[in-house]
Formats: sequence, structure tokens, C-alpha cells
Amino acid sequence: MVAILQFIRGYVRIKVWGFSPERFMNLCSFHDILLWDIRKEDGFHTMCVSLRGFRRLRPIARKTKARVAILQRYGLPFFMPFLWKRKVFLLGLLLCVSFWIFSSYFIWDIEVSGNERITSDQFLSYLRLDQIAVGMKKKDLDIEELEKGLRRQFDEITWASARLEGTKLIIEVKENDAPTQVDIPQEGQGMDLAAPFDGTIVSMIVRKGVPKVQIGDAVSSGQVLVEGRVPVYNEDATVREYEYVSSDADITIEHRLQRMEELPWDYLEKRYTGRTLVRHFVRIGKWLFQASTKRAFLAFDQVTQEKAPLVFEKLSIPVLAGSVTYREYQNVEREYSQEEAGRILSGKMNEFFRSLEEKGVHITQKDVKIEKGAGAWVMSADLTVQDRALRRVETQAVPEGEAKAGG
Amino acid sequence: MKKTSSHHSGKEALVEALRLPKDVCLGAMRVTLTGNSEAWIENYRGILEYTGQSILLQGKTCQVCFEGSGLAIDYYTNEDMKISGCINAVRYL
Repeated sequence: MVAILQFIRGYVRIKVWGFSPERFMNLCSFHDILLWDIRKEDGFHTMCVSLRGFRRLRPIARKTKARVAILQRYGLPFFMPFLWKRKVFLLGLLLCVSFWIFSSYFIWDIEVSGNERITSDQFLSYLRLDQIAVGMKKKDLDIEELEKGLRRQFDEITWASARLEGTKLIIEVKENDAPTQVDIPQEGQGMDLAAPFDGTIVSMIVRKGVPKVQIGDAVSSGQVLVEGRVPVYNEDATVREYEYVSSDADITIEHRLQRMEELPWDYLEKRYTGRTLVRHFVRIGKWLFQASTKRAFLAFDQVTQEKAPLVFEKLSIPVLAGSVTYREYQNVEREYSQEEAGRILSGKMNEFFRSLEEKGVHITQKDVKIEKGAGAWVMSADLTVQDRALRRVETQAVPEGEAKAGG
Repeated sequence: MKKTSSHHSGKEALVEALRLPKDVCLGAMRVTLTGNSEAWIENYRGILEYTGQSILLQGKTCQVCFEGSGLAIDYYTNEDMKISGCINAVRYL
């Protein structure tokens, strides 16, 4: 910081010799003239003094009979006349600085963080509708209104904060972590639990509602297992009325499941020839500047690397520089052997089993086999699983008259 | 001579008793050394002699001589100064 101030104000390195340089230095300090970097050379002293201090040295030098000579000039006051001679350079510098200042009045990047369920694209399309986009003026942005708007538009957002950091708009949100509430049925309307597939009941715990099946029963898809219409009986065991509840139960149904995975016999293998080609490019916004756009090879894949230059990184100005590496390859036709096909298909099948386990489906028995079908290897799995998934359906209300008649 | 020394000791005793800073009240030179490469000095009157091998400073009550090689003055103001270089000895004269 001190060095910057010294540079702005300007300073000189002087050479002092004569009768008593020490007295010269003492007088300088007495007159509050700062001296620094004092060195003893062969027969003289050198030191640095500010430009303002240097202008007050003459009487001190005369009084101490010391001789003073400038060795080197440093700082902006000496640099300005040099600049003045180079008008084009100065103009370029001024244009650069004004572009810098001008571009700092706009928003050049929008960053959204903290969103998990709402995608960044959803955010950006909402912002576009609200006239907030890259390239807009900073003063046109009402941050408070934006925060309110986000909370209004997305129900999942419980907290939203927007702030400007340089030319970047940073939006941070917090989504509601609490589980989604189950729809509470209206009064007088119950919910049944129905079987989502054919199978056999292996376990059953009913907390609310009337069970319609029991353990060991075979059920078919769509069959009501627990009814949300609970009868209230009279003393003579006749139904007086029905109370409608939202059924709640843990029911495990065992059922059979089939899964088939296919893999074509042959495939194209990329055999890289080792020939590569690198092309550099600069991307400014939507425009791409590349040395050549000629097709690199007959068959190739490309790896693109791009990075904002350090100067633009913090400014968030969309200027990117990078390179594309083209790698040539040849397509070679190959056939899968039974081991290879088995390995690939087993991988796919295991992934399916894992996804079932993640859903809470317990596999009790599995029969997996691989065979050569027409044009493809086929792996089929015959599974017996225990699933706790249930389908919620609205309870059929008993017509008013019938309920009364029952009562 | 005797009188002066007793006066000094009396003043010193008073400063000691009141726990006042000695450099302020007695005008003692304050020298802070960092290893043998840097010295920071306060409360001096001026430079008496400066060569590459020694720097002789005048204080209120005594003179201090820094001896060494490649001695340079980083900055020099009315309040304080900093000496850098290879300091071999500090002598009070």
C-alpha cells in the first residue's frame, strides 16, 4: 500500500556527498522530510525522497554544504509526460478503462445455488420472464422484488437471497426439506388401499380402516385390501352409519416379476489410430472464433476444454478461451462372446436388482438365464419379490338411502 | 558529579515507583533488535556518523554505535528509524 502511494506521488533516488551528509539527513528528519533506503556507497550516500520532499531540499543542502544529484526518477508524475507523448497508447488505455467501467454497470453472470428439486433451467426461465437476464443493467434489478417473486413462484422455496457480487448475480435458495404432506381427504370421504399387482399377501398390519383380505389370500391388481369405510353398528348388529377414514396399513404382497435385458451380437468398436489434432478457439458470448473449421478426420471424437482467462474470471464477462482435441478412430466390427455378453448383461441386471432394493422391494427368489436369441443375447430373470407398495383409491361412498336402510 | 548521579537515581526511582515508561520520562533510547539483521530505534537525536561498517547515533543521555557489515538505513524520520544489514555489535558510548 505504501509502495502504491509512493508511486502515485512520485519519488526520486538521490546521491548526497559533501561536507557532512549525516547532518543533511538529520536536518531532513527535523523538517519532516522522510528519507528511506539510505545506503553508503563509495564516497557518497544514496537515498530515496518523495517528490514533495525533494523540492524542499535546496535550503538544507545549502546549509549543510552538501551536494545533491538525482540518480533515478520513479512514479506517476514522471510517467505522465511519457504517456502524453504516446497518444494512441493513452487513448487505448482510456478506452480500456472506460470499457471496464461501462461493463461493470451490467450483470454478466447469474449463479443459482441451493436448489435440488427445482432445476437451474427452471430458475433461469422464470428470471427471463421477469426480465432478468445476462446483459441487463444492474440498476434495473430490484433485488427485494426478485426474492419475493421467487418465493411466490416456487412453493418449495422457504428462503431466498439474491445479491450482486461485482457483475455476478448470486441467488441462494433453501428448499423445504420436510416430506411432502399426504393429501388429507375431505370430511365424509375415505381412502382405500388397493393391490397394485396380482400376488399373495404375506404380512399385514392394519392401523386404520377395515381389512378385506387376510394373510395367505391371493389378490388381484386393483383389489381393495383395506377399506376406508368403517361401519358403526347398532346394538342389534345392524349398520347405523359409515365413518370414512383414510386407511393406513403395512401390507406385503409377494408376486412374480419378469425382467429381460438384450444385447446385440455385434457392435462397433472405436479403435484409436493415435493421430490427434488440437485447435484453439476464443468464444465471446454466442460467437465462436476458431482458426479452422475444416473436418479434422473421417471418424473422430473431440474433447473440448474451455476456461475464462484470469482477467475475465472474476468479472464474469462471457469470454472463454480453449482448445478442441480431435482424436481419430476407426470403426471395427466386433461380436460379443458369451462371457462378455454375460458380464455386460449381468451388470445391467444387477443394476435393476439394486434399484428394486432401493425401492424397498425384497427379492426372495430369482432365476436368471442367458441365451442367444435372434440377433441378440437375451438375459431373462424370473423373480419372486415381496413388495410393500400400495395404491390409494377413493372409497366408494354408500348411497344415502342405502346407508339409512342399513341403519 | 555525585549530585548529578543522585538526581538521576532519584528521578529513576520516581519513574520506577510510578511505573511510568522510562523511554518517555527519562529520554532513554529504545532499541529493538530482530536477530542480528534488523534494528528498530526510537528516541534518538540524530546520526553522528554513517559508514557501511558502523552507524553512530546520538541519544539524549548516551551514544549508541551499531557495528557490522552492509549496514543500510531502511527509513529515517524524526520519530524512529530502522537499520538493516548484518549487525555484529551494539556499543553504548
